[in-house]
Formats: sequence, structure tokens, C-alpha cells
Amino acid sequence: MTTMTPRRRHPARPAWEEEPGVATRAAKGTVLTLVVLAVLVPLWVVLLTSVSSRESINDAGGLVVVPRKLDLSAYAIIFSGGQISKALLVSTLVTVAGTALSLVVTVLAAYGLSRPGSLLQRGLLFYFLLTFLIYPGLVPQYLVVTGLGLKDSLWALILPSAVSVFNLVVVRAFFQNIPGELLDSARIDGAGEFRILWQIVLPLSKAVIAVVGLFYAVGYWNTWFNALLYIDDNEKFPIQRVLQGYILAGQAPQTSGTVSVALPPALAIKMAVVVVTVLPIALVYPFIQRHFTRGVIVGAVKG
Amino acid sequence: MSEVIAADPAPPADTPAPDEPPPPVRPVPFRRRRSPLRARLRRDWPLLVMVAPGVLLLAVFHYLPALGNVVAFQDYNPYLGDGALSALVASPFIGLGNFRELFSDPAFWDAFWNTLAITAFQLVFFFPLPIALAILLDSIMSGRLRGFVQTVVYLPHFFSWVLVVTFFVQMLGGAGLLSQELRDAGITPPAIMTNPHTFIVLVTAESVWKDLGWGTIVFLAALAAVDPNLYEASAVDGAGRGRRLWHITLPALRPVIVLLLILRLGDALSVGFEQFLLQRDAVGRQAAEVLDTFVYHHAIATGDYGFGAAAGLFKALVGLVLILAANKLAHLLGERGVYSRT
Amino acid sequence: MLAGCGDKATRGGTTQELDKLAAVLPEQRPLAVSVPKPDILGTRPVADGYTRFPAQLVDAVAGKPGTGGPAIRAMTPVWGPAPPAGASNAYLTAVNAELGTPVEFSTQDGLTYAEKLGAVLGARDVPDLLCVPGWEVSKLARFGDAVRANFEDLTPYLSGAAVAAYPMLGTFPAGAWRHSCWNERLMSVPNPTDGPFPWALFYRKDLLTKAGIAVPATIEELYEAGRKATDPGKGVWAFTDIFAMVQMFYKVPGSKDGWRLKADGTPEFKYETPEYKAAAEFMSRLYKAGLVHPDIVASKGADAQQLLKSGKVMFHQDGIGMWQPMQAEQQKVTPGFEVQPVPLFSATGGSPLAWGDDEPISYTFIKKGLGKARVEEILRIINWCSAPFGTAEFDLREYGVAGKHHTRGADGPVKTELGFKEIQNQYFFISGRSPVVQPYPQTPQYVSQLLAYSNETVKNLEKDPWLGLKFEMPAKYKAGMQPTEDKMTDIVRGRRPASDIDVVVKEWRAAGGDEARQLLASALADSGR
Repeated sequence: MTTMTPRRRHPARPAWEEEPGVATRAAKGTVLTLVVLAVLVPLWVVLLTSVSSRESINDAGGLVVVPRKLDLSAYAIIFSGGQISKALLVSTLVTVAGTALSLVVTVLAAYGLSRPGSLLQRGLLFYFLLTFLIYPGLVPQYLVVTGLGLKDSLWALILPSAVSVFNLVVVRAFFQNIPGELLDSARIDGAGEFRILWQIVLPLSKAVIAVVGLFYAVGYWNTWFNALLYIDDNEKFPIQRVLQGYILAGQAPQTSGTVSVALPPALAIKMAVVVVTVLPIALVYPFIQRHFTRGVIVGAVKG
Repeated sequence: MSEVIAADPAPPADTPAPDEPPPPVRPVPFRRRRSPLRARLRRDWPLLVMVAPGVLLLAVFHYLPALGNVVAFQDYNPYLGDGALSALVASPFIGLGNFRELFSDPAFWDAFWNTLAITAFQLVFFFPLPIALAILLDSIMSGRLRGFVQTVVYLPHFFSWVLVVTFFVQMLGGAGLLSQELRDAGITPPAIMTNPHTFIVLVTAESVWKDLGWGTIVFLAALAAVDPNLYEASAVDGAGRGRRLWHITLPALRPVIVLLLILRLGDALSVGFEQFLLQRDAVGRQAAEVLDTFVYHHAIATGDYGFGAAAGLFKALVGLVLILAANKLAHLLGERGVYSRT
Repeated sequence: MLAGCGDKATRGGTTQELDKLAAVLPEQRPLAVSVPKPDILGTRPVADGYTRFPAQLVDAVAGKPGTGGPAIRAMTPVWGPAPPAGASNAYLTAVNAELGTPVEFSTQDGLTYAEKLGAVLGARDVPDLLCVPGWEVSKLARFGDAVRANFEDLTPYLSGAAVAAYPMLGTFPAGAWRHSCWNERLMSVPNPTDGPFPWALFYRKDLLTKAGIAVPATIEELYEAGRKATDPGKGVWAFTDIFAMVQMFYKVPGSKDGWRLKADGTPEFKYETPEYKAAAEFMSRLYKAGLVHPDIVASKGADAQQLLKSGKVMFHQDGIGMWQPMQAEQQKVTPGFEVQPVPLFSATGGSPLAWGDDEPISYTFIKKGLGKARVEEILRIINWCSAPFGTAEFDLREYGVAGKHHTRGADGPVKTELGFKEIQNQYFFISGRSPVVQPYPQTPQYVSQLLAYSNETVKNLEKDPWLGLKFEMPAKYKAGMQPTEDKMTDIVRGRRPASDIDVVVKEWRAAGGDEARQLLASALADSGR
């Protein structure tokens, strides 16, 4: 680093902001580098192990750190099953439909509960909060879902987890931080609550909607236990339920003689499953982050 | 703070002082209590309509099955009667018998205090870290670098606990990288993974590694809502980096911090399950027994559903008390908290 | 205070006296059709072994068992990617065509099968045919009640001479049938086990030979072998967690999870025995000397089999089922790779002791209330699927359609990729078969080695004083097991002194141990033993 010569200002840095000192920069750089390395190295190990041959895994005694002989058979076996494409479709459907439904319900409820003093507000808020504490048991939930005829229906993967009170409370907190004058002036102009929510609150809340949308989407994408309980039809398995099967491959109790072919090493399959799970999530994040832009609220107040 | 606000034409509305008088313009008097019910209904019906779908979904998929928690007061046998529902009717009620059994078990109290200790430890040593990292990330100018770092650090959230613990074993375990290096240097490696006394630090470190990046997301969204004009005005006034952090950034984050803190407290009796089962033999029950593992061994594995439900209700009660207490405290400190009084 | 009022009825545990149930068990009947004779005979309960595939297959069942009724819904466990279901699975189509009435499978994840079972049993939403693996039974509380509430009593269909209608089922060993009774009725069709031993101590023969270490035949030799094999600098340790095998070497009792009879006839649990104390001390020596691989010490999630494959450990305790697949897989990767079980020995002189039982691999239950005709149709289908090794039915069930799911070489059938994808033991897990050890062309020595080891070990099979009795242990005893196990782990791992065992035993006795003892003692008295 050429710290002696004055550095070029970063174009994104506002004019009023002073350039950080050398010590600050160094400290920041060190912390970030450490944090990133602490994650990148294990990620690298996972990726490498997933493409390692049996020999490399044996030599490493497990997770592979240094690349040796590469072998893509773990991915080949996951994708050759033919189930993955179907499961991806199911999971995409569940994630898109579920996230949309959850966001609508959550945003509406969060706004409906964001006005202290409104009718029943306290009681309803308590009604929501209590679900954060008291959980239903497995068997009663199974009875309700199957009783509604949702067995082997993708709705069974969506409806039981459609409302997260954590997410609701977070959205509500952000709504409450929107300057009251904005809403009041709209009200003077005769706007109804739905219009205020749609035209004023939502445009100002893109960041938190993005965040909560991510939380919901990740939840639906990773849905697995509900699939175990409610989906018996293999054609309707979501991706995590299918991938789980590959993790277990080769762990069957030895029963009857099957002449085994050269399956890839179990560890490589496990790591390939991790990669296949994490990759779509990593790809989605930049789209979420786009909404973390400064100054939306200010613009609205001024405008 | 007054100095900053004085310099700014529009006070930051998201951090009202506790005793701030209401703004002069308030055409619809929401604060007015005891207005006739009909008038309130006329005014608030759209809000009730908005809440309705959520209420309905939770009623069907949460509260209806949660009625099954009645087995906490029963000597419940799911196979009595000629159907799953008639088993509920046929099982004898035993009042607080399950709770008595729970509270008279010293192992339960061990697990209880262990859990609270771990929660307290993590509130001090884990909870602030995502906030710090979020502020640090927020200060990165290059959008591409910021995006890259953020994407990378939040990925471990999606790793299973088996994998997380395996990574720690590979680094710090007796056959791990650190130990092999020390051995080569002729030093006897310390038993990091199997020391019951430092286990609380170990599980916290594992949790930090797994969820630090994930935890920053909400705070990053909150930081995005801060008005940049505030910073500019403050900088023009001569406030340095530190002062701006203290007077603008942290107050802006405060409502979210308080909210998440309260929600975490409501969940104080859950600190994880798989993480502790995996390392139970390594450090022993004394260190690794938490409430969820206790319930698992005592109720789930033995099929004592009534006992398990009783433990669940106890957890809910403790969570409720902690949430309400923390909420009260937040009000006293002038924060909105999660549940407002008015 | 109203003492006891408002508390649970103490669930004191129950016994099922199967000895008195001889009347409900099916008759043993040899099969009318002649299948090829096995090459190596096993001493029961060890199964016979075949070293070659028979050249000629025989037909065991004439005609179709199904009468074209509606599809039979079945739920079975699967370890691995779920096979395609319904019409998109050519294997299922082929077998279903032979059956006459199709079986529709819902294959469920094997590792979380107990959770799925808990939900469907509790909600009483079971399919027509349900497979319950033997090792899941102990995880399902009040299983006897669950069976009564959910499943058809098969006694009228199968007991005594009635089994003649299902000749394949008549060949199953009596022990397997005895295990299939609940509430003193015949409630399920067993899938008899092909190997009675829960554990073996495996070692890397190739590596041990190279290091000049002899196979240990005494407990001190085991310790010495471990000391010599361990080299932390090279990342090599001797052992994984081998405590169960160490207990066996010290002749700790293993019946009904660790009970035996003292000389005076009272039941005694393993924790109370000097044998257990000695075994715990030996195991703690291994830990203290640092002979157990640190990954195993630090986490239950460690991959012990991978450590053995990598040569990072020399000795590993596992089920017998680990042997053949690992040998077949690794000999292609590591030249000279050889894994073998350590012959059982006694640490304290005299003949050794082998734990084991003849509990079936799995049980097949039929849903309650389907009607007599339907139950009989389902039983005929189970009968078809239970045809033994050497029959055409078995061959189709195991290997699918020739040319599609397998090709037939000189060594026998070799599965194709489609075969691996579509055949996942579906029909195996709704039936049984007279168990045999099949040939494995890739590991030609395996069958004779396994039979030699098994026939030797079975000589010292522990005699279960409660053989044929089935217990639902007292709730208090069950709840006390894990805490006690944890305390013993503390002792073995060196966190508590070995002298604490007596204290732990005292606590265990108060926490349901004595209650269980009483149950076991009165069960013996009641059955007149």
C-alpha cells in the first residue's frame, strides 16, 4: 500500500466525509480480511472435497484442503438421478408462492398492528406474540394439516409456516420508524389505509421487505421436515428432501446382497449437497442487497 | 445530541425523546382514548381487515394444534380410545403432576441454569458482534466489495451443525491444524474441544462463526434507513467519525437492537440442540446439558408427551416473563420495544 | 397433601410372556419347491451362506397372488435417493405386474423414519402396509399400545396350520415370529435377521501387518497394539470409540440391554458388575493414554469409517454390515486394502462372550379394519415377496428385469445404473425371507470369512435368561438411562474418578434400576423359570 502519496478519493464517498486515517484503514482491513478468510477457507474445503476422488479423500483423512485429483462424480450422481430437476421446480414454486403469500400477510398484519391505540391493537399484537412462545406439538399439527386434506399438497409446505411472528415484528418496527408526518399528510389528503400502505409505506420499506423476503424465501427453500411429514409422493419432493437422500446414500443397514458399483465417496456427496444447497442462496443475495440503498426516506420527506 | 439536532431542520423522527410532546399537526387523534367503539371501528376497520389473514392462518395452523398442549396436564397416552382425538379425552387429567415432576428433578434445574448462563454469555459476547460488523460493512465504500464480503460471511448460516463442529475439530481438535503445528514445535497441544470449563466459549465461538454474517442482515437494512443528511450536517458541524457513530448511527439502530434483544430474551431458554448433542460426550453432561437436550432425553426419547408439553409451557412462561420485563425496561429507557403500552 | 393424587399412574412396565404363546405362532414348514443347497452352513441364528449364484432359478409361487384389487399403499424406509415412484419406475411396474395387485410405495428417509412413524402412529394415519425397522421399535414409546390401536391382529390368519396358505412365511425361524407378537397376539410378519451380532471390532489388516503388529488376542495385547499404532505426529491413532467391544471382551452382560442373572437367581444390571468396572477402567486407560482419535473424542459427528478407510485409525467398532461394502469399495482405491474383524477373546480368561439376539431386521404391519379378503390378499403378496434365494421371485425382487436392471454375468447378476436407481429394497421391507448370506463376486472370500467368524463367535453367544419375553420397561427406568450413561461417560473419559462408579450405581438403582430389576425377576417367576 502506498500510504505516503495521497489516495484517490473513492467516488462513492460523499464530499463532507473525511478520508479515514492509515490506522483506521489498517484495522478495518485486518478485521474484514480475517472474517472473510474464516469463512472462505472452509467454503473452499467444502467445494474441494465435493470434487475430490476417493483417493484424495482417503489421503486427507476426510476433508480435502489441497487440490489433488479432481472427480466430478458426486455431482454426476446427484444430477443423474433425474429427481433434481423436478425437485428444483417444486422448490421454486413453493418458494415463490410461499414468499409472496407470506410477505403479503406479514406486511398487511405488520401495518395493521403498527398504530398504537387502534382498535384491538394490543390484544391482536399479543395474539401474534404468543405464537412466538407456545408451539403446537407434532401430532396435533399433523392432524390439522391432514384433516384439511393437505397431505401430498404443496400447500402443506407453505401454510403451516406462512406467518413468522419474528419477521412480522421486525417489519412492524420498521414501519413505526417511518416519520409520522408523511402518513398524516396523506391522511389529510383523504388517502385510505390501503393506499397509504401501498403508495407511501411500501416504497419506503424496500430494505426490510427485501430482508424479510429473504428470510421467508430461505425458509421455504430449505423446507424439509414438513415435506417429511406431509409429502409421500416422490414426485412432489422439494429439493432439500431429495438432497437429504443423497447424504444418506450408503448408510443403509446391510441387508441383501447388491453388487455395488463405483459410487462416489460418501463425503464428496455430502459436500456436493452442501454446495448445491448453498449456491442458489449465494446467488440470490446480491438482488436483496440492491435494496439496501440509503436515502429513500429522505427523498420522500423532501418530495 | 442537542447540538446535532439543532443544526438539522428536521429532527430524526425515528428516535423520539421519551417525553417529547406530540407533533402539532395530528389530524386523526390516534392517541385519544375512550373514543366510542363505533367511531374507532369506523376509523380502524381497514387495519383489522389487514390483520385478518394473519390471524386466520395462525388460528388454524398454530393455535388449533397448540390446543394439544393440554396434554401437559394429563397422563397422556396417544393410543387410548379409538381415534387420535378421543385419546385426548380418554387420557386422565393429573393437574400439575407433570410440572411437579419437572421441578423436582435436579437435572432439570442444572439444564435450566446452564441454558440461562449460555444465553447471558452470548448476549454479551455474541449479540453485539453482528451490529459491529454491520456498521463496518456499511462503511465500505465500494459496493462490489461490500456485496462480496456480505455474501461470503452469511453463507455459514446454511451449514449443518455437524459440519460446523467438524470444522472446529479440524482446526482446534487434538488431530487438528493447531495441535499438529504445536506438536511439531514440541509443545503439548491444549484440549480446546474437550474442556468442560471453557465449553461456553467454544459453543459461542461456533455460533458466532455460523451466524455472524446472517445476523448483520437486519442491521444493514436498518442502516439503510438512516438519513444521510444527518451525517452531512453533523460533519459540517465538525463532529468526527466517532461522534457521528455515537450520535447518529447507534441511535438510528437502537429500536432494532432493542427489538431483537427482546425477542432473543423471549427465546432465552433455547440455545440450540444439535450443537450440544454432538459435543455432549466430549465435555460431559454437566457442561453440555441444556433445556432442549434435557427435554429430548427425558420426554421425547421416552415418549412422555405430557412431560414434554409441560416443559414447553414452562419455557413459554419464562419467555413471556422475560419479554414483558425487557419490554418494560425498554419503555423506561424511552424505547418502543416490541409491545407498546398505548 | 393428597399424596399421589394428581400424579401419573406409575407406569411400572409390562411383560409379554411369549412362552405361553406357542399356540399363536405359525407352524414351521419346509418349502415344497427345492431351492439349491447352501455352500456353507451357519450355526443358528447365523444364516447359511452361498458362495455362488445358482445356475437355475426355480419358481416358488404359481399364479398371481393379487386379485386385481385396488393398489396397496405401503411405507418403507430408504437410505439414499428416493427411487422414482409409480409408473415411472420400471422395476415397480414389473414386480407389480407379477403381483396382480399393485403396491404403491411411499419411501421415507431412513434416518428420520422414527419421526415419521411417531406422527402417523400417533395420528392413526397408517398405510395398508407399514414397515417398522427393528431398531426403531425401542424409540417408539408405548409401541404395544400403538400396535393395538393401528394394526390388524394376524393371529387368525397365520397361527398354527393356518400359515400353510403362505408357504414362504412358514419357513421363517420361530425366533423371528416370537418377536413379532405384541400384547400376546401375532401382530406382524417379521423380516428375519441374517446376522445376530450387534458389533464387531474391525482392524486394518494390511496396515497392521505392515507395521509388524500382531492381531491382539488378549486385552493387554490390544492395549500394546494400540500404543504401537498411535503416532500423533503422523496423524494416526489406534482406536475409535470401542467401548461396546471392550465390554464384550470383559464379558459384561448384554441381554435386554445389559441384564443377567446372578448365581442366586436375582437379576443384575451391567453397571453393577465387576466386569463393567474393569471394562470402564480399561477404556479410560485408552482415553488417558491418548489412543482414541481426537476427532472421535471431540464430536459425535466425526466420520469414523472414513478414518478407518484413510488409515487414520487402526481399529474401529461397527456393525458387521460395514465389512463387505467397505472392502469392496476400498480395494479398488487402496491396493492391498484389507479390513477384518478381530476374533472375539476374553480379557479375563475362559471362553469369551458374544452379545447377540435373533431380533428381526424389520416388521411388516397391516392396517386395522381392511376386511378379511383384503388382509388375505395382502398376506399372499407378502408371501410372494418372501420367496427365498434361488427362486425366480427373489431374483426379480432383488435384481429387477434382466437386461434392464441387471445383466447376468458368469458371477451372477450385475446391476445396471437403472437398477441402482429404481431398486431400493422396496419389496424387501414389506416382507421377509428365510435368511441366507448371498455371494458377492467382488469379494469372493467374504462369504467364507464371514461364516467362519460368525460360526466361531456364535459358540459363545450369551444365553438370554429372558429369551422369548418382551418387556416394556418402567418409565422411570427409561428416563434414568441417559443420565446414568452420561455419568459413566464422564468416568470413562476421565472427568470423574473410576471409584465413583459405586455412587453412580446407587443413584441408578434409585432412579428406576431396582424397579426394572423387580419386573425382570417377577417375569421369570411368572414364566416358571
